Amino acid sequence: MTDSDQGSERVDVDRQTDRELTGSQRRAERRAGIALAVAIVAGIGLFVVYFAGGQTQVEGVLFAIAFGGLGVALGIWANHLLDAREVVEERHELTSGPEGREALEMALTEEIGPVIGRRSMLLKLLAGAGGALGLALLLPVLSLGPAPGDSLKVTPWRRGSRVVDEEGEPVELNQVPEDGFLTVFPEGHAGAADAQTLLIHVRQGSLKLPPDRMAGVPDGTHVAYSKICTHAGCPVGLYRAESQSLICPCHQSQFDVSDGAKPFFGPAARPLPQLLLGVDDENVLVAQGDFTEPVGPAFWDRGR
Amino acid sequence: MVERSLKYLDERLGTASLARKTLRKVFPDHWSFLLGEIALFALVVLIFTGTFLTFFYTPSVQEVVYNGSYKPLQGAEVSAAYNSVLRLSFEVRAGLLMRQTHHWAALVFVAAIVVHLCRIFFTGAFRRPREVNWLVGIGLLFLALGEGFTGYSLPDDLLSGIGLRIFYSVTLAIPVIGTWVTYLLFGGEFPAPDIISRLFVFHIMLIPALLLALVGVHLAILVLQKHTLFPAHGHTERNVVGKRLWPEQTFKSVSLLLFTTAVLALLGGLAQINPVWQYGPFVAYNVTSPAQPDWYIGFLDGALRLGPPWDLTLWGFTISEVFWPAVLFPGIAFGILTLWPWIERRFTKDRAEHHLLDRPRDTPVRTGIGAAGLMVFFIMFMEGGNDIFGVLLNVSVETVTRILQWSLLIAPIVTFLVTYWICTGLSRTRLRPAQINAGVRLSRSPDGGYETVPLEPAGVDGDRTPATAGPHGE
Repeated sequence: MTDSDQGSERVDVDRQTDRELTGSQRRAERRAGIALAVAIVAGIGLFVVYFAGGQTQVEGVLFAIAFGGLGVALGIWANHLLDAREVVEERHELTSGPEGREALEMALTEEIGPVIGRRSMLLKLLAGAGGALGLALLLPVLSLGPAPGDSLKVTPWRRGSRVVDEEGEPVELNQVPEDGFLTVFPEGHAGAADAQTLLIHVRQGSLKLPPDRMAGVPDGTHVAYSKICTHAGCPVGLYRAESQSLICPCHQSQFDVSDGAKPFFGPAARPLPQLLLGVDDENVLVAQGDFTEPVGPAFWDRGR
Repeated sequence: MVERSLKYLDERLGTASLARKTLRKVFPDHWSFLLGEIALFALVVLIFTGTFLTFFYTPSVQEVVYNGSYKPLQGAEVSAAYNSVLRLSFEVRAGLLMRQTHHWAALVFVAAIVVHLCRIFFTGAFRRPREVNWLVGIGLLFLALGEGFTGYSLPDDLLSGIGLRIFYSVTLAIPVIGTWVTYLLFGGEFPAPDIISRLFVFHIMLIPALLLALVGVHLAILVLQKHTLFPAHGHTERNVVGKRLWPEQTFKSVSLLLFTTAVLALLGGLAQINPVWQYGPFVAYNVTSPAQPDWYIGFLDGALRLGPPWDLTLWGFTISEVFWPAVLFPGIAFGILTLWPWIERRFTKDRAEHHLLDRPRDTPVRTGIGAAGLMVFFIMFMEGGNDIFGVLLNVSVETVTRILQWSLLIAPIVTFLVTYWICTGLSRTRLRPAQINAGVRLSRSPDGGYETVPLEPAGVDGDRTPATAGPHGE
């Protein structure tokens, strides 16, 4: 009880509750009373609204009025109707001082016996047991996820996978109009997150790709890139046909479709991996294999 | 009746003297001391509204067909989580009000914490003996951010799903252990089906438990150490001047709780927030534009947009371009923030106990650094809306980004210099309550004479050590 102040023991005679109110206090009392009455009305209103079927906006306003009315009343009460005055309280010392600390040390060590002080084998074993058990207790954490393995480096695209749209319907050559694009998947994996691919029908002769890449562009116009942004993994959902650029709406990385989807503005550092395509005998687009490199954002061992 | 129950409790628990002592505790009055209270009260609203939401929310990505009352989505395949959020928004009476109030309360919660943090920083309230509570406070900030982000992602809508995808990419970018950490956290390659149920466990159990425990510690330390004071007449390093917990502070605090709740209910009722039915359900290959996260994640999203396109390959291992803005920058920035009391002490050599606050103008270097730091976060926050500014100002997104990239290099330095200049200018004016004489102590000498001892005026210009150190200052 070191921090109780001296003045607090005094009983103030003028703190009687039946004392006459001053004029300003009476006015304050009236205002607080009105605020409380408003809160009561709003509370009743909430009943009405709820049982009438509920209405979000009206409920919000009525709740605000009810809470606000109560708040106003208490605020007025605090400012005008309390006898509270400014009080000075002395701070106590935070520290227990050297004696206090010594006493604590005594309390800790007094009855602990002779073993602790001697750095005995027992202590080392205790630390060892604690460590072993502690590590063992962490093991279940490993059950929280599969080992990454190669999962980030492969997608369901295989040599010969037929190209399908999000409904699983096969996509034929020239089905997508010129300057148009379509999100496609390997057959049997429609909607698979890591296999999402943009099939873009570009104008003849507009691609500047090396021959081995060009070999995966049927008709010289159907080029396919991974739809997962190499920056932070958003679907690259915007295509500007006139400049043949793909734009990621999340962080505005921009990729040049004609030049191997290399990034030319924004935070992305790597091009969108290309999916080499071909055409089967039913004129349906097929993949020549998986992507040219791991899709999506970079990770530590993506190059290994 | 009251007397009887007080007697009952006192005879069994000895509560009378403890309660009396607590009720008579003195807390100083200043508007800025209420910022932390607003955070606390927003938390109260969050717990009540959140508990209500829990009764209707389904933490599962099981595919279901939506057949609720929102026509545009009828017949769509959505996750059970998304379905339950639509149901509690449209079918459950008062559900939408609760959900929107919860979301608004979350935004206000983090905002109040940040402004409270600024108050603590700029007035030097983190100095000895309050370094421990500074750390607790920083912990609360992180928990609040985590709580906000996990809650934001629960509806499994398209916008939050993209946010989750970006967060996944950020954890992937952690060098060496990133892939493992990501797989353990998310349960596999994105979008692993366990994510939503895990977020739920984090959001309604793990983080709230820690949050409430730390709030308890935060307040307990405050009570133990007593509140700080602004320098003024009669305020010294050894006293607390203010109003008692009962009745004045209790009335005021409850009033503030009610006002906070009123404002949040008004926002929740009138101001639409996070209309997940407009974004649509999460589909891994869809995306919305423009896409902005909740305000407190804005700086990180902006950092990702500002970041340089530099990835690095060392001995076949890759450091992602995401690493610099989203792992390294927050690591350094929050590291400095966390360690600030010790960083500052290294330069000021001030190890004394402080209960009187600094006026920001009297510590121009600290104020300047703080303002510069805020400017860094502000520029990143602005860049988080670069697409919106581009449209509003009718300039290209590229231009907005270039301008903000240069601003990031220049503006913090300018901010520091300008703030420093303003502080020193203000310090020279007469508006210096800090130097008001704290009064005199009258002491009587053994031979019957009197002498006056002036009490310390707190904080003298250019000298950070108060004239008298605290009881146990070195």
